[in-house]
Amino acid sequence: MSWKNIRLIFVKELVGTLRDKRTIIAMIIIPLIFYPLLFAGIGYFSKIGSIKSEEAASKIIIHGAEFAPQLIKHLQDYEKIEILIIEDDSPNKLQNGDIQAVLVVPQDFKYKIEREEPIKLILKYDTTEAKSRIAQQRINQVIEKYKDEILLQRLSRLGLQEEFLTPLILQEENIATAEKITGSFLAVLLPYLIIILIFTGAMHTAVDITAGEKERGTIATLLVSQISRLEIVLGKCFAVMLISFTSMVLGLFGLTLAFLSGASIAGGVEGVPFGISVNTVSLLFLVLFPLVGLASAVLVMVGIFARNIREASSYITPIYMLTIFLGIISISQGMELTGKMFLVPVLNSSFVFKELLMGKIYWSHIITTFSANIIIAGIALFGATRLFSKEEVLFRS
Amino acid sequence: MIQVEGLTKIFHDKKRGEVVAVNNLKFNCQKGKIYGLLGPNGAGKTTTSRILATMILPTKGKVIVNGFDVVEEPKEVRKQIGFLSSETGLYDRFTPRETVEFFGRINGMEDKVIKKRTTEIFHDLDMENFQDVRVNKLSTGMKQKLSIARSIIHDPPVLILDEPTVGLDIITAKTVIEYVKRFRDQGKCIIYSTHIMREAEKLCDIIAIIHQGNLIAQGTLVELKKNSSFDDLEEIFFELINQGENLK
Repeated sequence: MSWKNIRLIFVKELVGTLRDKRTIIAMIIIPLIFYPLLFAGIGYFSKIGSIKSEEAASKIIIHGAEFAPQLIKHLQDYEKIEILIIEDDSPNKLQNGDIQAVLVVPQDFKYKIEREEPIKLILKYDTTEAKSRIAQQRINQVIEKYKDEILLQRLSRLGLQEEFLTPLILQEENIATAEKITGSFLAVLLPYLIIILIFTGAMHTAVDITAGEKERGTIATLLVSQISRLEIVLGKCFAVMLISFTSMVLGLFGLTLAFLSGASIAGGVEGVPFGISVNTVSLLFLVLFPLVGLASAVLVMVGIFARNIREASSYITPIYMLTIFLGIISISQGMELTGKMFLVPVLNSSFVFKELLMGKIYWSHIITTFSANIIIAGIALFGATRLFSKEEVLFRS
Repeated sequence: MIQVEGLTKIFHDKKRGEVVAVNNLKFNCQKGKIYGLLGPNGAGKTTTSRILATMILPTKGKVIVNGFDVVEEPKEVRKQIGFLSSETGLYDRFTPRETVEFFGRINGMEDKVIKKRTTEIFHDLDMENFQDVRVNKLSTGMKQKLSIARSIIHDPPVLILDEPTVGLDIITAKTVIEYVKRFRDQGKCIIYSTHIMREAEKLCDIIAIIHQGNLIAQGTLVELKKNSSFDDLEEIFFELINQGENLK
């Protein structure tokens, strides 16, 4: 085996792939330009929408307003609540969004206040409508304020202070480090994203330089050269690995950019302290490389087996679905892997990523995952080389 | 230079069972000669070419290329041959210069030698004006010139050309034929498979007629005519095929 020959194939595949417009679109334009623009757009429109909802006064109807003049005064004083006097109070009005909430005051309101009995007010609103939710929050605020006033009056009647109602004060202090906060925030989605980006990054190139070579008839020219089958497979596999890894990094960078641009425009998430230690990052890479190798070797093997690009794509679809499935398992909260489960490729990596991001380092999990993925990648490479030596696979028609 | 003895290739097909693609072929080809494999589609020409080029293994028989056995020493055989067929494609995203240099490198040549040889070949094949244009922008004729350049970059003593004019227009096909003649004059041993009678007539020193995997006749055009009641290669071809069918 000659590294020089492997390098020749590696460089040839890399140059060929980078000169392909589709690669540039998939690797650079989509993650670095399209995603941020898309998210920024979504953020912009959701902000516009929320500003509109916040600015508008909530239109409400009150049934039995005459029974609670004090409460009504409080509601009238609230700048962004508009009380409508409508004869037609059919439920359709609320459903259609003509009004945002309906408050029902019972007839015995005054009587119960005087007798210091609890009063049941009914607030009807539509949780699927942003404006209606805002109306609900506003009415709630007013009612809370009015409730506090009544309480204070009752306490003073009894000669008690406001502190009477708060015998205990619990002061909470969050000791989570910036790393842990970032980690737990990232651990939910990042492993899934990493896995999907690795596979999607590898797919196009792996198919193009294997089944694509067969389809274009260039494979025969390689087979009659001085380069061995193993060197060809390794060169191709390393090229797919690099493309897959780079796509993943660019993809993550693009998604971060997209998320930040979207969120900052929408004025959403802010102040999440960011920090990942060098140690965690190096361990992440340690687990990442065998996974990139595994994805590349498996996809190269499938590509070599297929007659043409179309056939390769149809073989890869179920593999991709399986990967998505394993990735989704890693998102589900509360699921934990036991010893042997760390032998399952993809699933093992996603859980180790999750653990590492949460600041947990279990060496047994890391070593099992690393070894299992390396061994399976090795088997796939061996399989790919064997297939590449089989004339019935190379010259199937 | 090329000795083929009892060459047989059997494929296993799920539907058809065992398929004998090539049956007990025997022939020799010397330096400075063009040996033509003439036969219709499915005769076994491509299988024979692929075995000679070490792409597939024979089921039985012995094939020696310039002193090396295709089964025992495939790597050495590959050093001796230049292979070109209608199905050997080119990399669309590379230029002719990059393509030829790449094939020089994967054939173990040194960069200095590759540079010198590429310049010579591009001059000989009149490729200088499109050497830096990407392959996907080239015409069919230009591409075929590049395929030839690619297969001879390492200056192999043996050329295996499997239907090299298929799909080419008449002018490009003529150019290819001219180059093949030139390679013969340079002393190369050439295996030339074709189903075009005129090409075989004009080009080949020895013509082997293959039908359904069997070699049914071989000799110079004069010898084939002598043993036949016809004077035209096409008529001779059909006569031989009919005789073969009757013998069955």
